[in-house]
Amino acid sequence: MTGRGLRRATVVVALAALSFPSSVARANTSPSGKLSIEAKLSPEQVGPGDAATLTVEVTSEGLNLPEVPLPQIPNVAVERAGTAQNLSIMNGRVSRTSTTMYRIIPRKEGTVTIPSLRVTVGSETAETGTLTLIVSRGAAARPPTPLRGGMPPGSAPSGTPEIFVKASVDRSRVFWNEQVVLRLRLYSRIDVLGDVDWKPPSANGFWTEGLGPARQGRVRVNGVDYAVMEIPSALFPTRVGALTIGRARIRCRVARVIQPPDPWSMLAIPDVVPEDVTLDTDPVTVTVDPLPAGAPAGFEGAVGNYHLAVHVDALTAHAGEPVVARATITGTGNVSSIRDPEIRTRDASREYVVGTSTRVDRNGDRLGGEREHDMAFVADQPGTLEILPVRFVWFDPEARGYRWQSSEPVTVRIEPAAGGTETGRVAGQGLAPAVPRPGSGPRGSLSLGPSTTNSFFLGFSAIAFASAVLAGGARRRRSRDPRWARVRLLESLLSRELDRARSLAASGDPAKAAALAEQTLLLGTGLRYDVELTGLARAEREQTLRARRAGGEEIGGLERHLDALHAIAYAPPETRRSDAKQAVAATRRTLERYRREIAE
Amino acid sequence: MIRTIAVILLLVLPSVARAERDPADASVLYNAGTEALRRGDLGPAVALLLAAQRIDPRARDIRTNLAIARARVDESQGSGDHGGARPASPLALSAAESWNLAAAVSLLGAALLWAAALRPRGRALALLGAAVFGAGAVLALMLTLRAREEARHSEAVVVSPVLDVAPAPEERPTSPYLLAGGDEVRLGRSRGDLVEVRVGGNSIGWARRSGLWRVSDAARYTARSGARSAGTAGRIDGS
Repeated sequence: MTGRGLRRATVVVALAALSFPSSVARANTSPSGKLSIEAKLSPEQVGPGDAATLTVEVTSEGLNLPEVPLPQIPNVAVERAGTAQNLSIMNGRVSRTSTTMYRIIPRKEGTVTIPSLRVTVGSETAETGTLTLIVSRGAAARPPTPLRGGMPPGSAPSGTPEIFVKASVDRSRVFWNEQVVLRLRLYSRIDVLGDVDWKPPSANGFWTEGLGPARQGRVRVNGVDYAVMEIPSALFPTRVGALTIGRARIRCRVARVIQPPDPWSMLAIPDVVPEDVTLDTDPVTVTVDPLPAGAPAGFEGAVGNYHLAVHVDALTAHAGEPVVARATITGTGNVSSIRDPEIRTRDASREYVVGTSTRVDRNGDRLGGEREHDMAFVADQPGTLEILPVRFVWFDPEARGYRWQSSEPVTVRIEPAAGGTETGRVAGQGLAPAVPRPGSGPRGSLSLGPSTTNSFFLGFSAIAFASAVLAGGARRRRSRDPRWARVRLLESLLSRELDRARSLAASGDPAKAAALAEQTLLLGTGLRYDVELTGLARAEREQTLRARRAGGEEIGGLERHLDALHAIAYAPPETRRSDAKQAVAATRRTLERYRREIAE
Repeated sequence: MIRTIAVILLLVLPSVARAERDPADASVLYNAGTEALRRGDLGPAVALLLAAQRIDPRARDIRTNLAIARARVDESQGSGDHGGARPASPLALSAAESWNLAAAVSLLGAALLWAAALRPRGRALALLGAAVFGAGAVLALMLTLRAREEARHSEAVVVSPVLDVAPAPEERPTSPYLLAGGDEVRLGRSRGDLVEVRVGGNSIGWARRSGLWRVSDAARYTARSGARSAGTAGRIDGS
């Protein structure tokens, strides 16, 4: 057994759980018997979306153990669930075994063919046959035969299954509307992974109420310890005759241990593979008898064991005040379906249903609880208000007869309506009201709306606000306009400089007035043509104005005006005053004309 | 000049507003409510004192007696003491005063903005004016919403000892509500002798009009008005 001779191997494809009797297997061994492969499939029939388990086992004499890839299968999802390996050396011969599990999940109905798996090591070749998996919805509805009725897969000890379910009722013959407790139990001696999915049974003809969450514990069955998970529920038959509680379905995932193929191997380590399990309970039949005849008056269908209590909130009240009477029924049975007992009075002017509340106790072994019914009565006249006896009738299945309970009548004293400080609780608070006012006023309206004046002023302020916003915007826009800036400067010249020149002319200083008017005229002309003229010689000034498209006549007139102002500054004193006034006035006219031209 | 106009408006507005509407006397309402409180008629007491508080909200005596009346209503219903009398707030304003304030603030804001528009550099003044006008506008908006709610669902008080509020005849029958004297509610639509009753913004059913007083009509039930005497069941006009 040296060199490549060690590569001789065996591949085995096997069905999922070794203990599943329903599995089919295809195995093949090489001619020398040193390489073998075996495939097993379980179950052979599944529903679309359900999983079957394919187990592939390869055995090889040698150290080399080849992988066996699973080919693609149309409309089937393949998941690798786990692998276990084993190595054994016996009498100098080395043997290795690999067991791989796959979850085969078909998507459609039909027949799925798993092709043959082939493994080759050196000259050794082994090949499995094809396997067939039937996919049908009928197979999905039908649970695996070994699991139904509590016979699980892989029951190693005879009669002690690893996992099974059971449905039971506490009594198989009951009266109509009598409580039946149905218990669905999951027994398991292998680990259950994750949550258990409980699908409740069909219970046509029953009113069903849950009895709290799942309960867990341990029991011994036929000498074997099991972990038990129990789902109890209370059923109340609504028909008579033989009623059947259908199958309940439980789905869970268990941890299945794969033992090594060679139990003598020292290196064999069991592998744990999760496996989905579906279990169904057996149907249960309950015989329902009708209630005995001769039910007393007032019987409204309550079945169980009950107690009635009546409470009135006050034995004294004022006319117009409500008095509340409460009937409370407690006991075991279907309290949600109890019809409230009638609470009546003899003297009430008005009556109201205040409310009804039900508290269901699901914590015990049987369903019970409490139901409260409140009625309010108002007497408008002083005197008495008599609450008549309240009667409640029910059928007691334990005593197999009808029972009833009546309350005592309650008399409430009705006093005159509250009025004056001596009547009762409202006056006795110790808070002293403020004394009345001697005078009158202030006066005002009780309306919360605005007056006409308020509306007018609010509207006026809104209009004023809007107009101020518009005016401010217009002013900002105009201040950014260069023409407007020139007009403002020109107005400033007119209002300041020429006024000053006029006053100088009037005060006997015509020379200064003429010089100021001359300077102002040059500045104004510069603003008119948007050019700087001060400090320029005559020829240069004429050339600049022509460049700014000033007419020849305009330039000539300007120069004559400037000459006149210049002459006034050096004229004899006796003639200068009147001339200065005229020249300043002419300058004003010229600048005003310039302002109009710019503004246009 | 603007300053002068603003001062004149602030002085003239309250008197003009007060004179142009049908006024009610807060002292008459207060005295009638106090007398009803002394007699133990909690419903009329609450309604009349609420009306008096609308006109004179800063009056300590009105607030004190209204708080006592409400506490007695709570005690009669077994819901405990809600704090008793509280001092009058010096900042409380009546509806008319609130509207005057909103108008004055808005006018001041507009005047400030005009002053900013007439000045060459008035940016800070313009911002101030806009802020002041915005404050006045927000106040006016809040007052408008409050007045609209009062117009649609007027404030009312249960004046009968017990008032049953039930669904309308064509509505799905449900258990009726019981309201006690002094309970404060709001009213909705009216139909014949019935009026829709609303609590906490939701309709709880319909009740007889004669068991409810609207606060805005409380002046009719004072002795001085000659309409009804306090303590007897009045009625609500159709809304």
